[in-house]
Amino acid sequence: MRYLLFSILIFPSFALAEAVMHTDHSNHSAHHSHEGHLHTQLVDGAEIKLDAERFDKFVADQSGSQIAVISVSGMVCDFCARGIEKTFQKDTGFRKIDVDLANGKVLLAYAATKKIVKKDIEQKILSNGQTVTDIQILTAQ
Amino acid sequence: MAFSDEMRDAAYYHYSPSYKYSLGIELVDEKKAMKNHTNFRYTYLLNRKNTQNSQRNLYFQSSLSVGGNDEYSYGFLGDWETRRYFIGFGAQELKSNLRNYDKQYVQIGFAPYLGDYGNLHSWLMIKSKHDSRTNKWNTYPVIKFFKGDYLLEFGVDENDELDIHFMIRF
Repeated sequence: MRYLLFSILIFPSFALAEAVMHTDHSNHSAHHSHEGHLHTQLVDGAEIKLDAERFDKFVADQSGSQIAVISVSGMVCDFCARGIEKTFQKDTGFRKIDVDLANGKVLLAYAATKKIVKKDIEQKILSNGQTVTDIQILTAQ
Repeated sequence: MAFSDEMRDAAYYHYSPSYKYSLGIELVDEKKAMKNHTNFRYTYLLNRKNTQNSQRNLYFQSSLSVGGNDEYSYGFLGDWETRRYFIGFGAQELKSNLRNYDKQYVQIGFAPYLGDYGNLHSWLMIKSKHDSRTNKWNTYPVIKFFKGDYLLEFGVDENDELDIHFMIRF
């Protein structure tokens, strides 16, 4: 009985593993065309590392928006990171969010008129149990 | 969160005003004692360490029952996890006017693949738990899935008893 139940549950897990690995391989090819990561040089000389393909996809429909690129530590679990999305969705001027678990990055798109307070972002991430290590604000072209 | 094993079925609702603590109410059906009771639970985060690739937690947990047996409990829970590996443990002392007993568990697991945000995530785990009422360690496999706001953890022991956790994030 228990072996049957586990066989039923484990099979889709490994089938999905194979599907994800295949996807990773496809992404890997795409990364080569972007040299792996996009290094964005800011006016103040700071440099932030981003997954180029992911960032491009995120800002594709966000022309003129402010993009907060947040580096987060302790963001190891999708289920735990859900709270981050729920918290920021309530913000005025909020447009879109992306959570990159692999690189510990959260991308937030806000309306151009929104006054972004870094301390407020830090506090919201902390209230969900993770720690902010860096925040950079960009403007999507 | 819903929970079921050979000793009890329970439904637990909790609210976290801050990441430091949560307050909850647990409705419990003690199968062997054939009685129901309600626990008020308080969980406090004693220590958390976030790194780029891991998170480690230590919690104090206590409960007070209003079911008539004056039962209360206290204990500690801990875990360390990366996106690939998980280690967790718990120890709880339960006291009532009928008897005192204690429970412990350890759980280790790994994710066979690393899903992106929003994908279905799966974990394969081994859980071992001890209840001083039966005075034996029970070790069994557990599989955990989560996607979006839903989490299901499912284990079956050697006696075909189920150990199920189901969680929804509101």
